[in-house]
Amino acid sequence: MIKVSGVTKKYPARLAVDNISFEVNRGEIVGFLGPNGAGKTTTMRMLTGYLPMNSGTIEVAGFDIAKYPEDVRRRIGYLPESCPLYPEMRVDEYLKFRASLKGVKHSIRRAKINEVKEQCGLTEVGKRIIGQLSKGYRQRVGLADSLVHDPDLLVLDEPTVGLDPFQIRQVRELITKLAERHTILLSTHILQEVEAICERILIINEGKIVASDTEANLHRKLHACSIIEMEILAEKAFASEKVAQIPGLDVRNATELADGWLWLEVEADSAAMRVELFNLAVAEGWPLRELSEQQHSLEDTFVQITRKKGAE
Amino acid sequence: MSVFISLLKKELRTCFYSPIAYVVMFFFWALTGGNFIWLLSQLAHGESLTIATQLMFSGPMLTFALPVVVPLITMRLFAEERKLGTLEALLTTSVRVPELVIAKFTGALIFYGVLWLPVFVYVFFQSRLAPAEVTGFPDGGALFCGAIGVMLVGALYVAIGLFMSSLTSNQIVAAIGGFAILFGSFLGMMYMAYTAQSSGVRIVGQYYSSFAHMLDFARGILDSRIVVMYITHAAWFLFATVRIVESKRA
Repeated sequence: MIKVSGVTKKYPARLAVDNISFEVNRGEIVGFLGPNGAGKTTTMRMLTGYLPMNSGTIEVAGFDIAKYPEDVRRRIGYLPESCPLYPEMRVDEYLKFRASLKGVKHSIRRAKINEVKEQCGLTEVGKRIIGQLSKGYRQRVGLADSLVHDPDLLVLDEPTVGLDPFQIRQVRELITKLAERHTILLSTHILQEVEAICERILIINEGKIVASDTEANLHRKLHACSIIEMEILAEKAFASEKVAQIPGLDVRNATELADGWLWLEVEADSAAMRVELFNLAVAEGWPLRELSEQQHSLEDTFVQITRKKGAE
Repeated sequence: MSVFISLLKKELRTCFYSPIAYVVMFFFWALTGGNFIWLLSQLAHGESLTIATQLMFSGPMLTFALPVVVPLITMRLFAEERKLGTLEALLTTSVRVPELVIAKFTGALIFYGVLWLPVFVYVFFQSRLAPAEVTGFPDGGALFCGAIGVMLVGALYVAIGLFMSSLTSNQIVAAIGGFAILFGSFLGMMYMAYTAQSSGVRIVGQYYSSFAHMLDFARGILDSRIVVMYITHAAWFLFATVRIVESKRA
């Protein structure tokens, strides 16, 4: 659906995007992550034909954006950062205006607008003035606008920024629903959002793509070993020694808790080695009240990837 | 074409939704009223009716107000779109930049035309007040030329205002910039045309002074050189605006 190859964008003072290449397949939901100023918005603006690039090519649905900008724009529904709208217009007026600009035929315009209004939960507020709507509703108007011409690809630049948790959940549900029919590229720096919605993650840092994979694969690549936590009732030095004797296990941390229990953090070749630990506890007669694998959060992974690059 | 119509409709709607439109209208209509009263007093003092027709469009109260009024109409056009970020939303649809620029220009010019409408009401009253034995009044030809003249001058002023608005995302800067260029050139050219010592400078001033042109138009003189000058200059500023909008994006 999207094929970006070797794209570079220079601003007068700095290199915003540095020779990036990536692909997004039809039907995918891809999360586009990166610290502020990493080049997310610039990339999206080039993708939608708003900014020209210095070198490289971008193809959307098989059309080169430099040669056929109109064909590309017709296939993209774009929600720019901060969701710009005309505050003085009514929701219906605005959607009608946008639909006509996007070449939605007059005969189906009304039906199309009603359809996206229903999809985005705007049926009740059609007559309201946009400037008087809450941020959540405005965001939905922006989404409805990006859907009105039935695009194949949705490019959403931080669609949930500035919303309250309840609104975030609503917008997120809406996006998940849209994913059934559209390919989606979504930028954000809210990691839970990516965890909740996206199938694949692209991470950009300082203008370069530093990772492109599913969340699980990213974790696997970065964290070669698993961390197992256990809580037993045993003597610290003795228990640590016993655990370390098992091949493939290594005690990283042992702490005596306030209630007399011992908390162990064990590095293991795989999470399956929890069984060995259980067997050990049984053999030694240690009471065991907790045995679990530590989950890596996307946040850890993200920080690790972007920091590693920054330190080089 | 349907995209252009949608853009133009949107421009007009936004214009008439904004309070600044009504402030400008109030201000300018009050001036046309003042101009009419002044004109009647001139007639009462024995001025000829021919002069009265001329002053409808070229009374100094109005010609001096235009360089202030037009930037107030045009300051919004691109500066607001930039500020709101809606320019990005517009240019990522199938809208072409020239289409957008011409729609904004046309919208602003239509509003400028509306500002002049009261003049026709005054012409109507004046013709009713004129004694029956006076013939050839109102002078249709002179009125027609006067109307063409104010629209031509308006087209250039609006194009300059639009250009200034495309340069910035701050409406105040756009308005003051437009005002500086329009009022500066208006006064400068008038000074050159009427008071300069050297005859060469005076001729240049007369070619360029919109004050002088408006007097001519209102007398019924339609000089093709001046018509061409206004049209080409306005077109040049529109072209420059297109280039600015195309290049100045981030």
